[in-house]
Amino acid sequence: MRLGSRKLLDRSFTSLGLVSILLVAGALVVLLMPIAVRGARAFVFRGTIEHRRLMLDHFGRGNPLELEAEWSKARAARQPVYDWITQFEQEWRSYPAAKRREYRAELDELKGHLRVLLGPPPGGERPVMVRDQYGQTRWDRAQIKLRNVLLVEEWDYSDPTQMGRRVLRPRATHFQGTALEPLFAYVETHIDEMLRPRWTFYWRFLFDNSLDAHFFGGIWPEMLGTLYLTIGAILFAVPMGVVSAIYLVEYAKEGWAMGVLRSCISTLAGVPSIVFGLFGLAFFINTIHVSPSKSVLAGSLTLAALILPLVIRASEEAIRAVPHAYKEAALSCGASRWRTIITVILPAALPGILTGVVISMGRAAGETAPIIFTAAFSVGPALKLWETFTQGTPALPWNIYSLCTEHQAVDEIRHVQYGMVLALVLLVLLLNGAAIVLRARISRKLTG
Amino acid sequence: MERRQVRLTRWLGSAVLLLGVAGAGAQETKIVVDGSTTVGPIAKAFAEYYMADHKDVRITVSESGSGNGAKSLINKTCDVASMSRFMKDGEFKAAVEAGVQPVAHIVAMDGIAIIVHPSNPVKNLTVEQVRNVYLGKITNWKELGGPDKPLVVISRDTNSGTYECFEELVMNKEKIAKEVEYVGSNGAIRQRVQSTPTAIGYVGLGFADKTVKALSVNGIQPSRATVASGIYPVARPLYLFTNGYPKLGSPLHAFVTIHLTPKGEEIVQSIGFIPLTVYSANAGQTEE
Amino acid sequence: MTELLGHGLLLLITSSSALAVLFIFFFIAKDALPFFVTRDAGVLDRLREFFTTTAWYPSSPSPSFGALAIFVGSGLVTVGAALVAVPLGVLAAVCLSDVLPFAVRQFVKPVVEVLAAIPSVAYGFFALVVFAPLLQEHGGLVLSVGWWCLVGPVAGLAVFVLSDVVGNRLATPRRGRWLRPLLGLILGGLATAGLVYVGGRLAGIEVGSGTNAFNVSIILGIMALPTVTSVSEDALQAVGRELREGAYALGSTRAETLVRVVIPAAGSGICAAIILGLMRAIGETMVVWMASGNAAQIPSPWYNVLQPVRTLTATIAGDMGEADHVTGSARYHVLFAMALALLSISFVCNLVSERVIGRATLKLR
Repeated sequence: MRLGSRKLLDRSFTSLGLVSILLVAGALVVLLMPIAVRGARAFVFRGTIEHRRLMLDHFGRGNPLELEAEWSKARAARQPVYDWITQFEQEWRSYPAAKRREYRAELDELKGHLRVLLGPPPGGERPVMVRDQYGQTRWDRAQIKLRNVLLVEEWDYSDPTQMGRRVLRPRATHFQGTALEPLFAYVETHIDEMLRPRWTFYWRFLFDNSLDAHFFGGIWPEMLGTLYLTIGAILFAVPMGVVSAIYLVEYAKEGWAMGVLRSCISTLAGVPSIVFGLFGLAFFINTIHVSPSKSVLAGSLTLAALILPLVIRASEEAIRAVPHAYKEAALSCGASRWRTIITVILPAALPGILTGVVISMGRAAGETAPIIFTAAFSVGPALKLWETFTQGTPALPWNIYSLCTEHQAVDEIRHVQYGMVLALVLLVLLLNGAAIVLRARISRKLTG
Repeated sequence: MERRQVRLTRWLGSAVLLLGVAGAGAQETKIVVDGSTTVGPIAKAFAEYYMADHKDVRITVSESGSGNGAKSLINKTCDVASMSRFMKDGEFKAAVEAGVQPVAHIVAMDGIAIIVHPSNPVKNLTVEQVRNVYLGKITNWKELGGPDKPLVVISRDTNSGTYECFEELVMNKEKIAKEVEYVGSNGAIRQRVQSTPTAIGYVGLGFADKTVKALSVNGIQPSRATVASGIYPVARPLYLFTNGYPKLGSPLHAFVTIHLTPKGEEIVQSIGFIPLTVYSANAGQTEE
Repeated sequence: MTELLGHGLLLLITSSSALAVLFIFFFIAKDALPFFVTRDAGVLDRLREFFTTTAWYPSSPSPSFGALAIFVGSGLVTVGAALVAVPLGVLAAVCLSDVLPFAVRQFVKPVVEVLAAIPSVAYGFFALVVFAPLLQEHGGLVLSVGWWCLVGPVAGLAVFVLSDVVGNRLATPRRGRWLRPLLGLILGGLATAGLVYVGGRLAGIEVGSGTNAFNVSIILGIMALPTVTSVSEDALQAVGRELREGAYALGSTRAETLVRVVIPAAGSGICAAIILGLMRAIGETMVVWMASGNAAQIPSPWYNVLQPVRTLTATIAGDMGEADHVTGSARYHVLFAMALALLSISFVCNLVSERVIGRATLKLR
């Protein structure tokens, strides 16, 4: 082959490698972008007056006087809408029967849409469900609901051999010539004054309890549950993992027994997470009854079994990386073997061990499958510490799943789902970031 | 070194003490609900409603499936098992052997609506036709009085209560064809049907909103009145099970009877299920 | 004496992980056995039903537990994930270990680590909420854009290189000047035609459901990628400088050194990396549960990845709640049987990868 073509081959090989790296980085960006951007909207959004009312009513936040003033302005802006409806209802009585029935259904539909947009009309009884007590709390959702008020979707089935055609008509045409006709133009132009949107930074999303099955409020019980599970798993896994690592490095004599042990550890690392979940159910709950049913304790134990091999490997590596001279110096000073390990080797290996611990914390925090049968509740209050022994808890990973698949109003609470995913991803990435920084410092220290 | 150890012990000691004290200080009634994902929303809403008025009661709801709920009740690890099906014989037997007497409270009715894309001109199917669709015997809308388009048949996941109910009420012990597409949740079926003009699916009544078209079955439109009165053929009750009838006046008693109050009915309806009692004026509405 | 006691205690704690493995096998197997050994049917019948039939009706009054379709589903998404993860991962590993300068590598490695760290439920959420609707609404577009992005550069390079190489073979001093551009033109035209044809076909595809094997394969591939990359990078690093320098000294270019010397030497390590990556994919639960469509069917034709499938892990996660635990029905135990199958697969894979790595280190020594 000519030298030129060999160079060309070389270059193209290099560029293929670069393309693959770019694709990997691209995948990361594509994955994280929507989560970051839309997750941020759970925290920063244009909140309407309904949001501020809700905050005052249920969390005691905001200035009641200011809000009252603003609320009266908003009410004044909404009043014409309700006036037109009352006027129309009076007019309706004089219509012929057939027309009356037709308008009844139309009016009910309109009132339903208005109720969703603005909340229950004044004067009526307070609805039971919190979601029915308020209008749209977010301006982006309000825009969608406004569209439903203004437009009607109809289907034209005139040709039975074909699929129907969609006809989008302004709702105003249905009420042409009635008292309701001006309502639609008014709502469209005055929606700002009715809902009074304002940029809101809702950082308490992380620390508020949820209200009405995550329609409103924050994700604190989930955050706390994840924290409990993670810390519990670490409490069980780290002592065992570090001791195992010490044994493997300092005491174990290589032989077939150690070979088996090592294979066991790597087998444990390869067990699918869902199998850990089944094992937790069959062993911790059904056999040794650590708790009567799902509990944080059982979940932590299951997660601990999952991260144990990670901790062992990281600690083993860290202990092996401690220079031999340290150990020899300590031993030659007359320290016992155990004392050498405690006072010399472990402190020197500590940053490395910590890196491993932090990474396994991230793993434990993000795992879903092991806690489905052992710890996860869909709804529950934030647990107190002593309750973790007997009770399950909501946790971020599980609730992300349950909110985006099982929830009644999946589409209405997308922002909560994204917010939860963002919180979880940030938590895990912060832990991993800490590990990366930690490791960089160690390598700097080791190299000089 | 030693000093550090002493400090550590002290820390540990005080932590244990704190735990004990705090544990003793907690005096509140706890109600644990476990079970079906279908009944879950009702239980969750009841829990929030009840806890808002009774700060000393804590209710947790776990949606881990009907089977899990029954098991928890039998192991006495939950107070209320929410189930979308009735207890099976074996479960009953095991319960009685464990000294648990399951009492069923029917909290609501759930109708299963057959839904199609709103552009679909078909309005009504018989149970027979629906069954044949799901058996794979009918594959074209033409056979159902619609346009000449192939059907896309969608079903809930086999592990859902909705699936079991559909299987029981519509399929008549015959097995759903394999080509049918399975979808994980009610919301997902709705979304799937919304975006596919030739699709047919079934969802809990609460999910049949304006974006899809609910067909009438045997000429009967699914609605609050037709389901509650039993005219609509594809409907089922939803249960809460307790161990014996709860002590009258206890929080547990209040919790499992919320659905009998007007507020409870409102909650049930607001979530999209059908309250048991329809004495109100709405009963006559469907004839229009 | 105390030394001995301490030693014993340490050994005990260390062997707890071995104990955990034993316990996992024991408890999973204990609950799996009753599915095969029952009064209603013989062991062989049950085995045959489980492994060779596709009728999965666990909840029906006369249930049937044919899990073949579910095994096929698991296999299909795993193979799909491998198709994504293996080429990308191995190339990225080569790039990381031998091509990129140290300064750049320090930025790229965290990217791979972050990919590994993101929780599986976040991947599942992305697959279900972002990727599935995109596929469903603009399926053809996504497929053809993906096709162009992935195959386009590769095809371009191939044409370039091929025309050069073939041109050199055929070149004589007289026709050397115009032959190579001509060849490039012909090959480029052919390649473009092929690309356009396939791209057009892909663009015409209507994706029925966004939650399907294709979606899951892509996401699982991305999830398995960090494992493949980091383990194969380790293997490549383990190949000493001497081999590389020897190859350079004989006048090889970098690509030749890598392809002819380094990668073969690290081959078994890379194999192990691939096996570990596949294990990650086959054992993953949340992504497949949320985004695979969960239809217990073998796609027709079998390679049609645009159809929904159902996997072992998703079946366990989803069905466990509805099965009645109390009476220990077949529906409950069949899930443990699936877990046992998963466990055995991962155990075997693990043994194989260990063997392979062990052999590799022996060879390099």
